[in-house]
Amino acid sequence: MSIAQSLENIGFLSRFSESVLAYPIVLSIHLTDIALFGGMILMTNLRLLGLTFNSVSITQMVTSLRPWKRLGGTVQIFTGLLLATCEATKYAPNPFFWTKMAILGLIGVHALVFRPSVYNRTEELDKSKVIPARVKLAAILSLVLWTAMFTMGRLIAYWE
Amino acid sequence: MLLQNAVVDALNNTEWAFPLAECVHIGGFAIGVGSIALVDFRLLNLALRKESPARILRYTELWTVIALVFVVFSGFALFLSQVGIYLINPIFPIKMYVLAAALVYNFTLHRKVASMQDPPPTLSKAVAIVSLLLWIAVVFGGIFTGFLE
Repeated sequence: MSIAQSLENIGFLSRFSESVLAYPIVLSIHLTDIALFGGMILMTNLRLLGLTFNSVSITQMVTSLRPWKRLGGTVQIFTGLLLATCEATKYAPNPFFWTKMAILGLIGVHALVFRPSVYNRTEELDKSKVIPARVKLAAILSLVLWTAMFTMGRLIAYWE
Repeated sequence: MLLQNAVVDALNNTEWAFPLAECVHIGGFAIGVGSIALVDFRLLNLALRKESPARILRYTELWTVIALVFVVFSGFALFLSQVGIYLINPIFPIKMYVLAAALVYNFTLHRKVASMQDPPPTLSKAVAIVSLLLWIAVVFGGIFTGFLE
């Protein structure tokens, strides 16, 4: 038996995928979470690009939204794991799913690369008059990666 | 009718048009609802406490409106491409009523309270909670429209 099949056969996962209501409810939570916390990621990036919230300091923008983004990310991972593992045999051969996972990996790389030079140095950024190019690059890459992320998420449903 | 035919053709006869419209719809509501939620989080005293709710509203409002326009247009295109299916769907009309309520609420009471100089805390919180509940209900309605045919 393949790994995907044994995942699906785990008791609560198989009951979960057979339930008419549980699957759409968890998917709705996944999407609501995108709306609530994805919006925060977007607004932070727009601030880094100098497009809005200009009189609000970058420090306040980043530090005050950070705990909420973490909560949002945790909910995304839990609901996402539930959605993927209960239909593991469908997801395992799906190229859009694996592209999405690769993008998730890239988002991790983005954090490793830019956290020391951008997100952890907001007080310096607030003091400088112009927003440095590396900050704008970080914001644009973040926007591109997250757009690719939810696009792949949607396309998972279209692969047969 | 002519418009409908054009949209139906585009969305049903090209493989990528329907999923593309869906992606615009999702990206749009993430920005639209996310920017409204930021005002609500401020009204609930949960984020950006150093700024007034009015200021958060002023900074987010344009993004909210632009995003919601994209959401409504992509949603309308999705609807036109499969009118028959949506019209017999038991959840779809409920979603539309809640959406109408959420939109009216957002640009009347919600906007009014968020732009007040010093809104009473209880009122702010109540207004924010109703706003979040309405928009969450719209998202749930969208997913359930797709699941319960």
